Amino acid sequence: MSTVATTTALVSTRRLNRHRVQRWLAGLLTYLSLALALVFFLGPFFWVVTTSLKGNEDFFAYPPVWVPSEPSLAHYARLFTHASGGRYFTNSLVISSLSMLAALVVSLPTAYSIARWRFGGGFLSTLLLVLRMLPAIALIIPIYLMYKLLGLTNNYLGLVALYTVVYIPFAVWLLVGFLRDFPVEIEEAALIDGCSRLRALIRVVIPIIAPGLAVVALFAFIATWNEFLFAVVLTGIETKTMMVLVTSFTSGGTDMFYGEASASVVLGVLPAFAVAFFLQRYLVKGLALGGTKG
Amino acid sequence: MKRFRLPVLVTTVVVGLIALAGLPGRETAHGARPYEGTTIRAVVNAEYVKYSLSLVEKDLYDNLGIKLETEVIPIDAFVAKTLLEFNSGSSPWDLIMFGPSNMPDYGRHFEPLDPWIEKLKLEFQLDDIVDVFRKVMLRYNGKLVSMPYDGDIHIMYWNKVAFERPDNQKKFKAKYGYDLRPPKTWKQWDDAAEFFHGWGWDGSANKLFGAGASYKPSGSGYSYHWWRQRFFAYGGQYFDGNMKPLINAAAGLRALEEMVRTMPYYPPGVLLFESEEPKTLLVKGEVPLLYSWTSTGKRVGNPAESVIVGKAGFGIVPGAEIDGKVVHRPAITPGRGMAVSKYSKKKEATMKVLEFISLPDQSLKIVMDAKTIMDPWRLSHLRAERFRKAFPDADKYLDAIEASFPFLVPDPVIPAADEYQRKLSFEITEALAKRKSPKDALDTAAREWDKVTERRGLEKQKAFWGEKLHEMKQLGIEYRPDWAAKAK
Repeated sequence: MSTVATTTALVSTRRLNRHRVQRWLAGLLTYLSLALALVFFLGPFFWVVTTSLKGNEDFFAYPPVWVPSEPSLAHYARLFTHASGGRYFTNSLVISSLSMLAALVVSLPTAYSIARWRFGGGFLSTLLLVLRMLPAIALIIPIYLMYKLLGLTNNYLGLVALYTVVYIPFAVWLLVGFLRDFPVEIEEAALIDGCSRLRALIRVVIPIIAPGLAVVALFAFIATWNEFLFAVVLTGIETKTMMVLVTSFTSGGTDMFYGEASASVVLGVLPAFAVAFFLQRYLVKGLALGGTKG
Repeated sequence: MKRFRLPVLVTTVVVGLIALAGLPGRETAHGARPYEGTTIRAVVNAEYVKYSLSLVEKDLYDNLGIKLETEVIPIDAFVAKTLLEFNSGSSPWDLIMFGPSNMPDYGRHFEPLDPWIEKLKLEFQLDDIVDVFRKVMLRYNGKLVSMPYDGDIHIMYWNKVAFERPDNQKKFKAKYGYDLRPPKTWKQWDDAAEFFHGWGWDGSANKLFGAGASYKPSGSGYSYHWWRQRFFAYGGQYFDGNMKPLINAAAGLRALEEMVRTMPYYPPGVLLFESEEPKTLLVKGEVPLLYSWTSTGKRVGNPAESVIVGKAGFGIVPGAEIDGKVVHRPAITPGRGMAVSKYSKKKEATMKVLEFISLPDQSLKIVMDAKTIMDPWRLSHLRAERFRKAFPDADKYLDAIEASFPFLVPDPVIPAADEYQRKLSFEITEALAKRKSPKDALDTAAREWDKVTERRGLEKQKAFWGEKLHEMKQLGIEYRPDWAAKAK
């Protein structure tokens, strides 16, 4: 009897050990795969970051200089002193922030009216989708000609208005999903308590769907920050954006300006990264919330 | 009267002193900086071109009082964006950088220079400009409208270590039956690329590559530039007199078939290479042979990055042996020009800027600087002692450039030149990637060229091409259908 019990215990211990080893191996494999994926996806960016801090003599060094021994911000400084980097960075910041705000201000009431009262009877939301389907390249020449006529080229207002219009369909569709998820009873309770519709929207609805608004804001900011086609065609020397600067360094051969090209890429992604970082606590919640209905 | 004497005397003295102090000052200001307070807007297609202008900005201000504000439009969007502005009947720029192969599209938006040369007594020193650039790059409808800014051409570079090691020479002779030397013909080039590929020809244990190239089809088309030097050496021509494309005839096919066959001797990734990757391989001593832009020479001579300083050879791009004589056809690739916008409101000042940046000593600063990729275009650039001593063997480098000038082949300088080149370059790379046969690729390109011609208007294109055909004939470049078969 005791032999059987001992054997059973041994088998159980072995199974447990095997299970532990399997779990440990699975964990190891998961982390290894994640590490590999990280190296694959972040490796090039790491190289760009270190190149932006290297001296000219390190660009072609063999064996490669992974981390410069004397990192320098000289390429960043040159970007601001010689390549109008400061001006273009500020332009991007102003245009992206204003477009983000405008997209929120316009799309929230639109989405609210569609979600609550089916405003436009389904036609409006479909029309908005159609706008989204038009490729930018098909619109660029008529828009350029119209802007030229109205004096809106090389102008903040022109670009902000255009980005707002282009981004609204996406923002509205996303917010309609959030608003339909939002329990209408809470809003009704606020109305019974004496709130006006606008006050209920501002005091009750917006705080609860804030994660959704954060997602819209973040996507709007990143989309406008990274936009190139409209920026290159509709801007002039005063209103050029960071993405145009990045491309002017990196397309058609960088020649000896590897440092400045890398610095422009790093600066080009930094604000979007900062906004994403700032909004990340809303982000996961927001993405999950909006996904239940669409 | 007496009571007025003192004030009159004081006033006279004060006025006199002011006049004495002020006059020379005013004269200096007008003499040295006659356009003080003027800002000229220039547009260029890359940050390194903007940098090149910055080399003369201080002198420009000190001499003329003019400040330059330079806008950079990325190279891939440059032609579309600038022509969009021009075709809408205005332009925010005074001074325009452009690719001379696009002259037929840009020319009508440029201010003719001759009236201003006469009016302002401008000194462009046209006789000092290399003959071929003067003939094919500066005129629109017979009128002088631009000045060269970048004398882009291809020359050949080689690593002397590879060619001078006795062991390499012995092995090469045993395998190919002739002496190892820098190639003069495409056959010799291909033999050398095959020979050097895959082993340490520099005496190291490294697996090095046979030759370098840029086969990416972006921009105006790198693979197109690499193809056309063989194509013309084999007697090719872009079109016949009736705008029928000749690119898919025997010369084109032979050139492309050779390029496809020798693909294994080039570095992996060559299909994605733009201009800089093969230059880097050359200066790092990883390829023994490269034909590339003349700006490469300045990197070759830069000890901060080059391991072949003083060990590099410079020569004319290989050609084809036709009836016992080697015919070289290096390419203009494609160069840059500068012109004054006819919509500019500051034409006089812009003309002065164009004159100033084109002066031999000012333009020398631009073409000598290793960080610009601007290449010499004046004879005085090639003979400047400062340049000839800039790095070891710089004199040989400049001599190789000068030796190439009489044989240069321009792009098809007709409307939509950029489009023709892009289509062809795309198809060439398709063949190099083995997604199409060389014949299929060139036939497709020829059909695409027909479509472009049709869209632009056959008669209009024919008229432009007729002029260019005549110019090319004057340069000694003619269609030779029999050369493809007999070229060695």
